[in-house]
Amino acid sequence: MTLHFLHRHVLEDHLAGFETRPNPNHVNVARRPVILSVLAHSGHEAAVAERLAELAGGSVRFCGPGEWLVAGPALLGEELADRLGEIPGASVCDQSDGKVLMAIGGPSARKILAKCVAADLHGDVFAEGQSANMLCCHVASNLARTGADLFEIIVPRSFAGSVFEELMEMGREYALTASFSED
Amino acid sequence: MASLITCPHCGTRPKEEFTIRGDAAPRRPGSADRDEAWYAYVYIRDNPKGRILEYWHHAGGCRRWLVVDRDNLTHEVFGVVDAADFQRTEAAE
Ligand SMILES: [Zn+2]
Repeated sequence: MTLHFLHRHVLEDHLAGFETRPNPNHVNVARRPVILSVLAHSGHEAAVAERLAELAGGSVRFCGPGEWLVAGPALLGEELADRLGEIPGASVCDQSDGKVLMAIGGPSARKILAKCVAADLHGDVFAEGQSANMLCCHVASNLARTGADLFEIIVPRSFAGSVFEELMEMGREYALTASFSED
Repeated sequence: MASLITCPHCGTRPKEEFTIRGDAAPRRPGSADRDEAWYAYVYIRDNPKGRILEYWHHAGGCRRWLVVDRDNLTHEVFGVVDAADFQRTEAAE
């Protein structure tokens, strides 16, 4: 007997078959993102932060003191983990299968997110490149601003369906569409 | 009424992101201390009306324990520090 293990995204049932041409307001669900969590050992917080700031290939997300998430394209997977593993005083753990990454972009992205998070997302407070943990649709998630009208949400896999549905509901009045992105 | 707490790590957030543990004023006795000291530490609490120091856990954010200095009558918040820093200033006294 042969067994075939297929990679199946947790949002497959919410998304597959419903894709339309993207509207200006659109959610891109990364099909196979690489997400690693990095924790600094006690006393090494500043040194690890410094090394992460000059990290090539991954996007670093702030979670809390001495704790980060690093997101990158699937292609970089192992390489990224190796690069992070070289940082002295840091522990790295692969979270790719435990987290779901959704990118929401468009002229109304902030208005939609205003109904999902209770943090101030004005550019003066939450600038481009900034990220933080916050409740998004009642789920503890990490939100990052990757552009003026572009945000990335990282949520635990088991909550992704709930967050996705609520996000789409909130975006309905702005004609929010969604699809998988292949990177 | 909105209760907004400005987390030193995350910024201004709603109270829904936090879990409140309670009074931050009692100090943990030493392991050799008398039972009465332990009894007081574990069970006896003042129930003040007004300014209070409390432990708040930022469960929906940085997941750090914070010490919030606030007025439980007017809900005015006077200051928020990380619990680790609070211990240190307390020890320096
Ligand atoms: Zn926080």
